[in-house]
Amino acid sequence: MSEKMELVCPAGTPASLHAAVDNGADVVYLGFRDETNARNFPGLNFNRKELEDGLIYAHDRGCQVYLAVNTFPEAGNFGPWHKAIDDAAALGVDSVILADIGLLDYATTKHPNLRRHLSVQASASNPDSINFYVDAFDVKRVVLPRVLSIPEIAALNKEIAVETEVFVFGGLCVMAEGRCQLSSYATGESPNINGVCSPASHVRYEDEGDRMVSKLGEFTINAFAEGEAAGYPTLCKGRFVTGGKASYLFEEPTSLNAASMLPQIAAAGVTALKIEGRQRGRANVAQVVSAFRRAADAVHAGEAVPELGLEAITEGQAKTAGAYEKSWR
Amino acid sequence: MFSSGPTPPLSPILLGGLAARPLSPKLLQPALNTAMTTLSRRHPGLFERLSDLGTPVYLIDPVDLPLAFILTADGEHPTLRAARDGEGSSAIATIRGPMLDLLRLLEGKIDGDALFFSRSLVIEGDTEAVVALRNCVDGLEIDLMAEVTASFGPFAGPVRKVAQFGQGLFSRMADDLSILHRVLIAPTQRRVDAQGAKLRTLEEKINNAPKERSRGRSGARQRSVRT
Repeated sequence: MSEKMELVCPAGTPASLHAAVDNGADVVYLGFRDETNARNFPGLNFNRKELEDGLIYAHDRGCQVYLAVNTFPEAGNFGPWHKAIDDAAALGVDSVILADIGLLDYATTKHPNLRRHLSVQASASNPDSINFYVDAFDVKRVVLPRVLSIPEIAALNKEIAVETEVFVFGGLCVMAEGRCQLSSYATGESPNINGVCSPASHVRYEDEGDRMVSKLGEFTINAFAEGEAAGYPTLCKGRFVTGGKASYLFEEPTSLNAASMLPQIAAAGVTALKIEGRQRGRANVAQVVSAFRRAADAVHAGEAVPELGLEAITEGQAKTAGAYEKSWR
Repeated sequence: MFSSGPTPPLSPILLGGLAARPLSPKLLQPALNTAMTTLSRRHPGLFERLSDLGTPVYLIDPVDLPLAFILTADGEHPTLRAARDGEGSSAIATIRGPMLDLLRLLEGKIDGDALFFSRSLVIEGDTEAVVALRNCVDGLEIDLMAEVTASFGPFAGPVRKVAQFGQGLFSRMADDLSILHRVLIAPTQRRVDAQGAKLRTLEEKINNAPKERSRGRSGARQRSVRT
């Protein structure tokens, strides 16, 4: 039997929050309906009343709620970000997830009792960086970037005195998170300030008869043959022609699925398992949360991880172990 | 509409759609009006999540029916209109797919992204508007059975029983048609599988050919250096 790891699950709408809580989430994380969080998709996220209701629903069922305020404020426009933190404290969320050092300072000073986690958007991946955030802002947990192998996570955990949270399922960002400029270059909108990578307003799918072409802004990102599983046109998952051959230069349009590695992740001293996917529907959230609940419980009981059967709902209908196995080119 | 989008699955809906082809879609309009009124009443602020987009108009196109639906997502007075096609609808986006998938999407029982990634669903036009509609509808927690039976007031109980019986019949018929479909395409499927295997073998040969030539040239150079 290993330490029980916390299951941190996504919610883009109140319906998804209900689905996550009902299917065994220990924590639901979400964002306000604006640019203060990194999933600022149209029609997604929570207004203040919805968060208030969501907190009651979750807390009544023994589930915590974390609020992501994990984008970087624009110069001269701190208002929405400061208000998000003030409202989080007033409404009683269990933790805020922050990336910007200015916001960390604001939260530490104004709301010292509001628990603070360091977002993956801060891209803190070494002991010096993490210890700085712990010493300066008393962060209680660090969400690790998706570029570390399991031995690296284990080594890191021995050198830091703070909880760690790792991604185990969903969209896979392989860039230096919080610093990636690819989407900004293609669309003029920054994932790190405006809160959305590859915004849907710049996405087009065009039917060209024998193939479907996906575009981001003016750039063709991929072309899918008849019957081939499609993907969302993010630049890092594009198929480009180099040396006369079309291939995925950075990463294939697959989803992270580290379920089979949960025992090693537990042994590496990780506190919490994070499921990506606030932009996915509630059917997806219900299925993934339920599957990972079974997996986490099995690991806690010292049993083998069961088959989860999540391939059909992943991007590209394929999975990868991501950096945990370091099999990239 | 039959003429557009992905090939419809062989289903009771397709058969029903073929049978209903001579009828005017306008016959559906009273039922659609009632449905939208009921939805608006049971879900106040139905399309509030779309407010940033103004009043977007969508063409919802079931590929296994001889009609399309035009949804005007007005925050106050949303409307759903049945039409033979989407001509003149000024829709900013079109969503095409089998009717059953569209209904399951409406109820949040199926993952829209997975449907799209598997190419069962086709979208055209303004992707942002489609994503916003998906998020909006997904957040409503619609239960079609409850929505429909609620409009029958005191008769809701008996109507629910009839509807459940109808669902059972539909499922059995869908299963039977699925078996029939597999039987009908089996000979063609075997030929396609055999051709696919041949194609893979040829692709492997082609992929390996340049490496062999390259190894051959490299080997020749090494030999010439040694001598």
